Amino acid sequence: MNSRDFFSALISREQDSRHGLTRREFIVLQAKAAFVFSVNAAGLLVPAGACADAVPDIAVARGRPGPAARAAVNLLGGIGSFVRPGSKVVIKPNMSFARGPESATNTDPEVVRELFAMCREAGASKVRVLDHPLRPSEQCIEGIRDACRVFGDNTVQALEDSFFYQETQLPDAVKFRETDIMKDVLDSDVLIAAPVAKSHSSTGVSLSMKGMMGLILNRSVMHWRYDLSTAIVDLCTYLKPRLVVIDATRVLSTNGPGGPGKVLKEDTIIASRDMVAADAAAVQMFEWYGRKMHPRQVRHISIAHERGLGRMDVENLVTEKVQV
Amino acid sequence: MRFQRVIQAVMLGMFLCLLYLAAYPLVLPMGTELFLRMDPLVLAGTVLSARTVIAALLPAVMVIGLSVILGRFFCSHICPMGTTIDLADRLLCPEKEFSTKSLPALPAWVRIVKYLVLFFILGSALMGISLVFLASPLSLITRLYGLIIVPVGSLLASMGLNLLRGAADLFGISLLPYISIDVPRYALQWLVIGIFIAVFGCAVYSPRFWCRNICLAGALLALCARKPLLRRRVDERCINCGVCRDLCPMEAIDEDPLRTRHQECIACLRCVKVCPVEAVTFTYRGRKRERIGYGFSRDRRKLVYAVVLGACTALVSLTGLSRLKGPDEPGQIVPSGLIRPPGALPEPDFLARCIRCGQCMKACPTNTLQPISLAAGFTALASPVITPARGPCEPLCNVCTQVCPTGAIRALSVSEKIWARVGTAVILRHKCIAWEHDRECLICDEVCPFDAVSLKRAEGLSVSVPFVDENRCNGCGYCEYYCPVTGRKAIVVEPMNALRLESGSFRDAAIEQGFSFEMRQTSQEDRQGQEMHLPGFEDSLPPGFTQ
Repeated sequence: MNSRDFFSALISREQDSRHGLTRREFIVLQAKAAFVFSVNAAGLLVPAGACADAVPDIAVARGRPGPAARAAVNLLGGIGSFVRPGSKVVIKPNMSFARGPESATNTDPEVVRELFAMCREAGASKVRVLDHPLRPSEQCIEGIRDACRVFGDNTVQALEDSFFYQETQLPDAVKFRETDIMKDVLDSDVLIAAPVAKSHSSTGVSLSMKGMMGLILNRSVMHWRYDLSTAIVDLCTYLKPRLVVIDATRVLSTNGPGGPGKVLKEDTIIASRDMVAADAAAVQMFEWYGRKMHPRQVRHISIAHERGLGRMDVENLVTEKVQV
Repeated sequence: MRFQRVIQAVMLGMFLCLLYLAAYPLVLPMGTELFLRMDPLVLAGTVLSARTVIAALLPAVMVIGLSVILGRFFCSHICPMGTTIDLADRLLCPEKEFSTKSLPALPAWVRIVKYLVLFFILGSALMGISLVFLASPLSLITRLYGLIIVPVGSLLASMGLNLLRGAADLFGISLLPYISIDVPRYALQWLVIGIFIAVFGCAVYSPRFWCRNICLAGALLALCARKPLLRRRVDERCINCGVCRDLCPMEAIDEDPLRTRHQECIACLRCVKVCPVEAVTFTYRGRKRERIGYGFSRDRRKLVYAVVLGACTALVSLTGLSRLKGPDEPGQIVPSGLIRPPGALPEPDFLARCIRCGQCMKACPTNTLQPISLAAGFTALASPVITPARGPCEPLCNVCTQVCPTGAIRALSVSEKIWARVGTAVILRHKCIAWEHDRECLICDEVCPFDAVSLKRAEGLSVSVPFVDENRCNGCGYCEYYCPVTGRKAIVVEPMNALRLESGSFRDAAIEQGFSFEMRQTSQEDRQGQEMHLPGFEDSLPPGFTQ
């Protein structure tokens, strides 16, 4: 593990401190950081300049869904740089539709299972796969639930009852300042977004940022009271996944989010620490309705960029690719 | 405990189990509606008003046939209404428990009232108007348990679960994680509760007041059981103590305890048990003159009047403004909320058969089936309608079609049910977030299971706006349910184009009319070739993107 890992881990820890960082963990991290600082300052650990290349901003892996997901996360430094032993993880895939993986409306179950397995390998104490689907939950989550059954019962849940949600303030929001968020998410240490890449007839695309709407109770208010794109960005000021893994093995290029539409076979997984960068990369990489689009043409991505949530200028970011 | 009590408890338990099992997913392929099919009034009223033999009501034929031999055993042993009234009597009036001694006798004409009402209802059924729902005991009791007790019970269970879980959380125990209990909600609770306040309240006056004086199914059985084969007989050991007379819950024993009003006797065998000298038996042999009749001869004319009055009332209701005839007849006023469950017969046949038991509403997993109030007239009161704002009609569910006791909703397979179109979604553009306020919203498109809603570019608007392809819409109401607009939704299901078939395949009829209800998960076609833009907007952006 190199110094960049430690810094980013430390920084993201601090950003996420509302998710609960125990005092002990904090002290340990401080100590580790202090150690790395001092060693690094002495020029002993890594040569200057190596940091920039060591971990890319965006990792792109091509191959079968499971292995590609693992390879993409490994390019970012491995799951260990996101999930510490004993931490609680929530994986948020898209499982909102009662359709098979070939329709590209849901995240491929193999991607979710691979992420789950990696979290377990990293020593996560509790991993939950959660969504708030639109159609009858049992039909929607079936595929992913079956894929994750090896990890135990209750691991994949579609939560609809308000009991499982808790009213939460969004302090950095501009308009959409308060919502009910899943208690499991509030209680977790690490949030991993694992959306499928698909078009969206209202917001252009539905990727990691749009997917955060699946962790709250009342989404309709985001449509009728607020401007939807602004509300999505507001929500993402609070729900910031530490790791984004976009399943673009199949891309629903038209008629999203529900389909049926044109499905592109891209065999690609995009991973990043930055949800805006990940989404922007996905927008730029594929054709939408047969056209090349720019990330700035997706309003919630450009608003998030302007508000400093992340970067959509992927051409200025370091992208690393791998074939598996 | 007496044998009769055990049977009663078992039967009530069975009734409640079957009611519980009338739910999605349906575990029992058939039989959840068994008790409703035993109701003699449902049989007589529905067969007359629907003018057809309904094979599903065979159990009621058996009940009537057996009553010729066993008397009104159904009332004392099987009827869940009777058992519930026994329980209520015990709870409400323990001091008067099963004794009628202290009560003033009802005037003699009271006993004839139920027969008059029965003939009134049969008279209206002759004209094709079913009023069975007003008095069928099985329908009423199913409504009480299904639409009042089940929701309240679910609410209590849900509250209890959350309390328990909250307490467990305090101790750091994860108890029953992720289990939640749906609490259904129903309209027209006042009607059910009002009826039962009256029914149970009468316990103050006498035990089984309903069964004695009001129950029309009981009246019908009484007509068949005026001289059952097995009946109460008293032998010479009788010491005329009168205990049996005082304790008879039906007041079926005369001043002279040797004589019985057999049509009132429900064969509960209480008199056998309480007799100090064991003089009472229920056998097929015995002395003569043990029976006292009503002398129907005197009231025969009244009964004829009742039939005529019932028929005339039916005629009046046939001329009511809300009476619907065929689907294509002009000049009919169809209330916009009159969206019948999938597979419902054409409206007149549907109303002739529907007994308003609420079984379909209890079974509906999305709680969309609700009893309608007076919007479609008195004769449609409490009949089921789809209420999309409360819940969508789930395309992969066919439970309501499977639990209907009278076939008012035809039993359909899931693949057939999808074609039983219930209505059509209509966009109210003046309420729509996208159309009226030019803001991003796509929920109707996103949730439509049939992909019948699509977002397209429209002139003068910066956002994409929804359009309904009416030939793909089967009226399930997902769009209306999820539409974020409050008050009247911006996309609503109207009864327009509902398929109401008496017989034959819904699929064939739907395809013939040019409908196409491909579920999204079954549709493999690549619809990319279809037009995605309005004519004249070919150069516009894909939906959802900006410049």
